[in-house]
Amino acid sequence: MTPRVSPLLNDLERDALTELVNIGVSRAAASLRKMVGGEVLLSVPSLEIIGHRRAAALIQEREGDELVAVRQEFGGAFQGRALLIFPRANGMELVRAVLGEELTPAEAAAMEDEALAETGNVILNSCLATMANMLERSLTMSLPEVLRRGGLSLLQTAEPVEDEGLVLFLYINFSVQNRSIRGYIAMVMDLSSLETLKRLVGEFIDRVMQDDIEA
Amino acid sequence: MELGTAAARLPRLGGPVLEVFARSGLSLLITDPGQPGNPITYVNAGFTEMTGFPPEEAIGRDCRLLEAPDTDPATAAALAAALAEGRPGEFELRHRRRDGRRFWDRVTVVPVPPGFNRPGFAMAILTDITATWEEGAAQVALRSRQEALDKLQERLRAALSASGVMASWDWTIGERRLRGDARFAAVYGLTAEEATSGVPTATFFSIIHPDDQARIRLAVGGILRGAEVFSKEYRIRLPDGTIRWVHARGRRHEAEDETASRFTGTMVDVTEQKRVEERLRIAQTAGGVGTFEYTSGYGTVSVSEQFCQVLGLQPAQDLPLRTINALIHPDDPPLIDPAPPPGAGCIRQVEFRITRPDTGEQRWLTRRGEFLRDIETDDLRFSGVIYDITASKRGEETLRRLNDELEARVAERTADRNRLWRLSAELMLVARFDGTITAANPASAAVLGWTEIELLGRDLFELVHPDEAAATRREFAALADGAPLARFDNRCRRQDGSWRWISWSAAAGEGLINAVGRDITAATEQAEALRQAEEQLRQAQKMEAVGQLTGGIAHDFNNLLTGIIGSLQMLRTRVAQGRLSQVDRYVTAAQGAANRAAALTHRLLAFSRRQTLAPAPTDVNRLIIGMEELVRRTMGPAIRVETALAAELWPTLCDPNQLENALLNLCINARDAMPDGGLVTIATANASLGEAEALQQGMAAGDYVSVAVSDTGTGMSPEVMARAFDPFFTTKPIGQGTGLGLSMIYGFAKQSGGQIRIRSELGCGTTMSIFLPRHATFPTEEEAPMNAEPASRAGQGETVLIVDDEPTVRMLVREVLEELGYHAVEAVDGAAALLVLQSDIRLDLLVTDVGLPGGMNGRQIADAGRALRPGLQALFITGYAEGAALGQGQLEPWMHILHKPFEVEALASKVQQIIRQAEKPKPAASFARGA
Repeated sequence: MTPRVSPLLNDLERDALTELVNIGVSRAAASLRKMVGGEVLLSVPSLEIIGHRRAAALIQEREGDELVAVRQEFGGAFQGRALLIFPRANGMELVRAVLGEELTPAEAAAMEDEALAETGNVILNSCLATMANMLERSLTMSLPEVLRRGGLSLLQTAEPVEDEGLVLFLYINFSVQNRSIRGYIAMVMDLSSLETLKRLVGEFIDRVMQDDIEA
Repeated sequence: MELGTAAARLPRLGGPVLEVFARSGLSLLITDPGQPGNPITYVNAGFTEMTGFPPEEAIGRDCRLLEAPDTDPATAAALAAALAEGRPGEFELRHRRRDGRRFWDRVTVVPVPPGFNRPGFAMAILTDITATWEEGAAQVALRSRQEALDKLQERLRAALSASGVMASWDWTIGERRLRGDARFAAVYGLTAEEATSGVPTATFFSIIHPDDQARIRLAVGGILRGAEVFSKEYRIRLPDGTIRWVHARGRRHEAEDETASRFTGTMVDVTEQKRVEERLRIAQTAGGVGTFEYTSGYGTVSVSEQFCQVLGLQPAQDLPLRTINALIHPDDPPLIDPAPPPGAGCIRQVEFRITRPDTGEQRWLTRRGEFLRDIETDDLRFSGVIYDITASKRGEETLRRLNDELEARVAERTADRNRLWRLSAELMLVARFDGTITAANPASAAVLGWTEIELLGRDLFELVHPDEAAATRREFAALADGAPLARFDNRCRRQDGSWRWISWSAAAGEGLINAVGRDITAATEQAEALRQAEEQLRQAQKMEAVGQLTGGIAHDFNNLLTGIIGSLQMLRTRVAQGRLSQVDRYVTAAQGAANRAAALTHRLLAFSRRQTLAPAPTDVNRLIIGMEELVRRTMGPAIRVETALAAELWPTLCDPNQLENALLNLCINARDAMPDGGLVTIATANASLGEAEALQQGMAAGDYVSVAVSDTGTGMSPEVMARAFDPFFTTKPIGQGTGLGLSMIYGFAKQSGGQIRIRSELGCGTTMSIFLPRHATFPTEEEAPMNAEPASRAGQGETVLIVDDEPTVRMLVREVLEELGYHAVEAVDGAAALLVLQSDIRLDLLVTDVGLPGGMNGRQIADAGRALRPGLQALFITGYAEGAALGQGQLEPWMHILHKPFEVEALASKVQQIIRQAEKPKPAASFARGA
């Protein structure tokens, strides 16, 4: 049995992080609903913390090399890079769902990167900002960039990182305008950032447990 | 009893305290247990108020005044007994007032024993406890109503469970109120009003299992903070205490006003489902079964961990459809077909190959799935399992290959069998148990001259030789009875009428006999030829042996005869010359040669075991001492002779002359084995043989005397030893030995009831041991041979009839008898002898040869003579122990024997002895004399 969870986080911390991401993607969904003007549902069924090699292998194994990603750097109490990754076909689907069916393929292709960057920004920003908000920390984010690469190079940093580099790996189900789109969120962080995250999650858990007492 | 008296007596009985009691308003009653019936002696106002009985109606009455027919008799009896025995007690009884109304009465009895100057009495305090009793009944009713309610609730719960939804809730986030439906109230143990009007939101967690609390609080916390979807499984505790697994699904509903946002949801009892899932999980893990669920149109498939393992993928809960189908062999159907499904309720099973990404190995899998309509979303779900069938596929493949091989082998074997059937030189037949031939192979034509077609349907027994038909039928019957195999030989008739010997091996199977027969006619003939050849060889060997014997004997005899004939010729010459002084020399020489010839024939007879032994108790040591000098002389100067004679040697019974002869022979053999000289040792010993040893030696168990002759000579090879006792076997050059020596000793030892053994090795000398049975007694001293008495003259007219076909013998015997003064009558054979016997000539003795020409032997002549002349004595002179003629056992008293050759003196003394003895008891025995 392969351990599903890094020993870095215990069950409860993993649950809490999943909830945090859920809150984040819920906010993102709300934003997307406004953008699209239709039903958008996002959910995070699972979360893993794995080495980035394995994360790359995971994506490679499932999706092949035809990937498209939106990447944003983030900094603050914890820092790293966040990627929203789609199989290339799914990326186009998302663009069509967001921009509407009436576009011609040529128009859609022309606007693809821009639409992807915008959508990715909404999702990643909502996610990370909500997380930071919930963890009562501030967070700064860079502008999004669109990448088309294979899995491994997507996850690798420009400057070589020690092998300890871990990835908070999330699988996301999108349901946009009744289209099923799958994608991944990968948050590449170094160990110290993860340690910080772990501590902050612990504090979050404590706060949640206090909910009734406030009531 | 008067009232006043009773009232007046109360203070006297109980003093002032009782009086206070009586006025207290309690219902009081006093009885007198000392009187029969324990009558009431006092009641107070309280009693009258309670029961309606005034004192005048109560006092003097039985204490059981208040009892009614429905009063419990057992309690009443217990009360009465306590009163009578003066025991305190408390009893609850259903009593009757004066107006007949019933009431529940608690009666407390206090007996007061007699005191100074006052008698004893019993006091009872009565309390109406009807109200208490009725309250209890109400409680019982309440309880039963509660139970009914519980049952109802239980039924409700069951109904809810059955419908799936257990409860639904509505959580107003800003207001912090939690509302629920009736089922929510039942699950949470709230009243309907509470559930409707709302309870604090903390209530939501009140029934959640402690182990699940933190997890669910986190999830709810997420919703409260903006998460949209809530879907959790956890355990709750129902009001009746049971623990159930529920799956709660909820959603956050945003409102314009943030505080108006709500969190609504439902929970479903999934306890059974959990159990099933757990069992399923175990089964999946154990059976290597992976499960999946695919909602048509989605890009991903929900999968179990085992599913990933079967495919060789990283464990995951959801896998992209593309990922899964990419593993499938291009020629095989996809694991999940993204094409529009055929419709609900459709079951699909496919087999396909995958290449495992982790090992690169190719495996065979089976996928079995069913299309189901999702109740909530109306989606069509494809739910199913996969499992690895590589092993069984390989098994199938192996089996198929084995099967092919087997078929090939069967074909080959069939071809083999056919070849065997066609080409075999041996006769092969298939027949029914009654002998009807159902198949025959081509060899039948070669062996029996009948073609296969000719044999079909024929009765085998028509062909079998009548001599073997019965035996063959027995074998057939045995096979029919289940004997596995039969082997037998019989003769079968060839088409040309000749007979062939066939050796059969037959086995029964499937109601038929399968027989293989080999023609052994030639073999049988060869065996016969061999037997004849062996017979001829044996004859040739016999002739060779006879030739050798004859040669040896002829050589010895010719030497002896030369001496005899030469001496006789010289005798005649000297007599004719009148040189009588030299006659005696030749006579002695002739006699010596003749005696040696006699010894030679004696030895021959001994070898043939037809010598007549004269066994006598013998002291072997004395015999050896007696012949020691002779041996030494025979051995010559180069050979030393020693004796080693056991002290207290047992006596034995044997023919001493033969023993002497045997020892001499052994010594001569020993000498011949030592051409360069050496040592001969003659040793004696007592030997007791036990059963085992005797068996080993080929002798009977018992005591024996052993005589051993050892030499230090050349020894014998095992081959020579093995043949040492064969007649005519000799290692000496032809002419030097007859090869009869050892054979003769062997015959002597066996005939004496003993044995002879050789111990020898080449170059190490030889020891020959003769074993002779122990005898009880030693010989008596005076048993020395009776030397011929000096011949004396016969009485007047005594006549002897001589019967012998040899004229020389007749002549000699007649002359000897006439020398002695007897009359002698000669007869050449039985017929001539009978004439004499039938005549009236005086006859005192019949001297006859045993073997005679002309049909009658000596014994028959003697018998005939005894018939004509009872008391006639007979002396048989024979060169041959014709046991059969003379009778094997004891000789009749009138029968006497003298062996040829014999000394003239021996004949003379024997004849005189017989005639003299015959005369003594019966002088009238003579026919002639009586005449």
